[in-house]
Amino acid sequence: MNKSWRLTRRTALQGFGASLALPLLECMQDAKGNLYDQPSQARMAFLYFPNGVAEGSWEPERVSGDGRLEQLNKWMKPLERHRKQLLIPRNIWTPRGNGHMAGTATWLTGGEYSGRHVSAGGKSVDQLAADHVGKDTLLNSLQLSVRGEGYFSKSLPRNTISWLDEKTPAAREIEPRIVFDQMFRTTDQFAPDNSVLDLVLEDAKSLQRQLGAIDRDKLEQYLTSIRAIERRLQFAEEQSARAVKNNLLSNRLQRPAPGIPQDHGQYMKLMLDMMVLGFWADATRVSTFMLDHGQSNRYFNFIDGVQGTWHALSHYHDISGETEDDDGQTSWASVEEKRGMYNAVTGWHHEQVAYLLDRLSEISEGDSTLLDNSMIVYGSSLGDGHEHSADNLPVLFAGGSNLNIRPGRYLDYENNTDLNRYYLAMLHRMGVDIDRFGTAEDELSGLT
Amino acid sequence: METMKTYLLIAVGLFSMTITVQAQPQPEVAFKNRLLERDLVHYCADCHNANESHGQLDVVSLLKQQPLIRNKQNWLIITDRIRGGEMPPKDAEQPTSVERQKMLSLLADEIENFDYSSIRDPGYEPTRRLSNIEYDNTISDLFGIKLRPSSKFPNDLSGNSGFDNSANTLFLQPQLFERFVHAADEISNLILSNDNSHLHNGLSINLRDGARVTPDPFLETFLSRAFRRPVTAHERDRYRRLFIATYQKTGNRRLAYKKLIDTVLISPQFLFKTEDILNSDDTFRINQFNLANRLSYFLWASMPDKELFELARQNKLSDHAILQKQITRMLLSPKADTIGTIFGGQWLGFEHLGTRIRMDPIDNPWCTDTLMDAMRQETAMLINHAFRENKSATELLLANYTFINEELAKHYRISNVHGQEMRLINLSSPHRGGLLGQGSLMAVTSFPGRTSPIVRGNWVLTTILGTPPPPPPPGAAEFEPRVERRRDLSTAEKLALHREDRRCASCHDQIDPLGVALESFDFFGRHQVRSRGKTIDTRATLPNGSEFEGPAGLKLAIVEEYHEEFVKQLTRKLLSYALGRQLEYYDEPAIQTIYTDMVANDYSLLTLVNGIVDSYPFQYKRLPETEQEPTNE
Repeated sequence: MNKSWRLTRRTALQGFGASLALPLLECMQDAKGNLYDQPSQARMAFLYFPNGVAEGSWEPERVSGDGRLEQLNKWMKPLERHRKQLLIPRNIWTPRGNGHMAGTATWLTGGEYSGRHVSAGGKSVDQLAADHVGKDTLLNSLQLSVRGEGYFSKSLPRNTISWLDEKTPAAREIEPRIVFDQMFRTTDQFAPDNSVLDLVLEDAKSLQRQLGAIDRDKLEQYLTSIRAIERRLQFAEEQSARAVKNNLLSNRLQRPAPGIPQDHGQYMKLMLDMMVLGFWADATRVSTFMLDHGQSNRYFNFIDGVQGTWHALSHYHDISGETEDDDGQTSWASVEEKRGMYNAVTGWHHEQVAYLLDRLSEISEGDSTLLDNSMIVYGSSLGDGHEHSADNLPVLFAGGSNLNIRPGRYLDYENNTDLNRYYLAMLHRMGVDIDRFGTAEDELSGLT
Repeated sequence: METMKTYLLIAVGLFSMTITVQAQPQPEVAFKNRLLERDLVHYCADCHNANESHGQLDVVSLLKQQPLIRNKQNWLIITDRIRGGEMPPKDAEQPTSVERQKMLSLLADEIENFDYSSIRDPGYEPTRRLSNIEYDNTISDLFGIKLRPSSKFPNDLSGNSGFDNSANTLFLQPQLFERFVHAADEISNLILSNDNSHLHNGLSINLRDGARVTPDPFLETFLSRAFRRPVTAHERDRYRRLFIATYQKTGNRRLAYKKLIDTVLISPQFLFKTEDILNSDDTFRINQFNLANRLSYFLWASMPDKELFELARQNKLSDHAILQKQITRMLLSPKADTIGTIFGGQWLGFEHLGTRIRMDPIDNPWCTDTLMDAMRQETAMLINHAFRENKSATELLLANYTFINEELAKHYRISNVHGQEMRLINLSSPHRGGLLGQGSLMAVTSFPGRTSPIVRGNWVLTTILGTPPPPPPPGAAEFEPRVERRRDLSTAEKLALHREDRRCASCHDQIDPLGVALESFDFFGRHQVRSRGKTIDTRATLPNGSEFEGPAGLKLAIVEEYHEEFVKQLTRKLLSYALGRQLEYYDEPAIQTIYTDMVANDYSLLTLVNGIVDSYPFQYKRLPETEQEPTNE
């Protein structure tokens, strides 16, 4: 089985063990210079969070006359150190779907959601980009998510932002080790070779004859999977040759322990590490990460001073403790107090995103950093969480200064400015030749 | 009138197997349609059209989708809005009250009073991959070893049908396919870990020297079992060639077997549940092997066993007596526990308990995994008991017994139950038995730490009775904030105040009493009479004026007032699960037929299962329409 990329055989197999104290990527800070003698590539990532934000908590504290971000507000403090890498727009919305359910499902498609037909109205922006740049990398794209908690964690629309086509959600990974193995370790034993693939393709063909034109989409999914496996095998061969040349890869990479860390913060950082690792090693250039699923009822009691579930806290104008899904034991003295907890949960997620930006900006690629070559979107499908409002969505863009984007500014757009216009701008920067995306027919202005 | 209806239904049922009646639009119907279309377009289409679909409602395209009953839910909401006067909005042109009444009565003809006997359509069960649970069960039955490879797969998500086995939510993405590859690897390693593997059902592999180096007779049996149908000579030869080529290359018979098994386990013929298309007609009866598969994935969530397979081969499953005997045999097998755990768990939602709905274990040390496991088992066992013992559907509501172990008994404050094993006990309290007395179901219909009569009432209407209330009118919140903050009022009093708003009352008159009666079950299903120092008020009145009190009263009230709704909902859910798709309007005649049978047989659950297996959509199949249906949701 010489074809497998087995850089991990001696080293990565050792695993993390129980201790996760050492962030995986510390070992990558030595990684100055290009890893594979390749020109730097554009990357894109989308980080989704549910339940919106409290009104006013997304607006910066101080902006200069010419629109430079001078100081973020206190809730966004964790991101302050990356201020110069951010674009914070105002009055962004998505015309065709918003809210907990449809808004999540269509956050990246610009389409309308239909539960009956399980359709998000179109292929999502990340997958359009993946179609274009994914053929050059090990994985087309990488869809990450944290493990669900609470009632809606099985609801398809609330758990899907990335769509292979309007009716097919992309599969998401929730376990760090599985993501790692996809990128750096193929199985030692059964790797389907040509004789196997030819045979199952024969089986698929006889199925096709049996079904005719019907259910072609199902078969197409199968054939796509086969092609992906073929490509993986081919890549594994190339990558193993590269890995031998690079001590950093073969000696320092550590494989995460199996399972999901108890500590939610460690868990999330590990998942973010996987994204950075994927970008850094050019295993993929496109990624999405659902920091939580739509309408999440996750408890954030582990944050000091916070009690209750995220979605309950988002309805911060009701402090009776008896609305929506408040837990009847907690009540609040004032709207301010409950809003404070809600903001603390949002702020905790800002910390995670800041961690991602730290990592991306620490990795050099030529004269710039990985962050300069990445376009990061971070946002939600709801505006004010209490009002379930659809306008002025909390969203920010990070990085991209090598990609004809000039970050570090506040962008005060007119009411109802279409988020899809930003996605269109991103697609163009990924080299996708496309005139329109979702409801957008032109790029968002003011990015350069 | 009632007997007339019943008579007609029976007549339809009788004909359903033989005659296909195409509904011809009659001139009068067409005229009424045009009238309705004219008024709806006139008053609604300005805001509800393809370009500007307020409330995501496009009346123009809805009108094009005939019969209108296809989009029943949309039309019920439209009817509700027109009837309540919310639509057209106040600042738009208003229909006269005569026009309004006319629209409503025409809509009622098309929707509420639709004549289902005019439709003959078995629907289409699409090709789909095995769900995670089905994959595990199929692997286990194929090799005779209990395995759960899907614990490493991404979760199956569910859409409108609420069941994991619905074709429209079962996707195969490259990541999942890769998991299938890894699973195949692990499974074959396990199977081939002995030199002499005797798998069950006559499958055996001999790896020792001296045996012939061909995969026979293993190959033929294994292939046809894995593909769940007879295999063609061509298929058999393909796999034999793979085996022999691998052996010649490696000289290692274990590797040859391994490659053979691995390849079968990632073949689409194994991973997908497919059915043959018979080219004779648009609508046709499915073949025997497909029927055997439908049966086994319905009752076992797994592949057919040897006996079913043999009967299919002998073409005997079309013999009604043999088929019924098989159903009874299958229900008695432990494999049929999936009716309670999967069908019940996903219909009623208790599968979420412990996995997705749980209390923070640090603050609530009593809320253990074993407790939640027992709570789930209690409900699954009630359902399985009722099906196996051929009880009536009514007993699912009125059972005066339950299934319990020591930990669950303590949770329920029932004494003298010792040990971990679940066992049947007779109940002294009238509140606890039946679906509406299940701790698991009370827990999954509560907010964390708190009950909500609205959530429970809505759940009873939607999940138990299949009559979901329309979504709240625009602008309505769950509670008006000023009512909500009144700490001096009990929940029941607050709800009563809330119902004084006429717009809210039209639905909450139905929702609230069902939930209020269950208020004596706390957020984790413990029964209590007092809360926060006050006696819990569980008295409630249905919209028709009948009064009842507490969970025990509610169960009787449902049996008295909503029995038909409950039985039909159970039927619809079970049919949807059996078919692996969400139901459509054309499935309604089958529901009517099965219901009529059940009425005649004391609501026997065996009649229900037999009725589903005998039904037109279960036995037949129609080729799907090729053109894309317009979406409107």
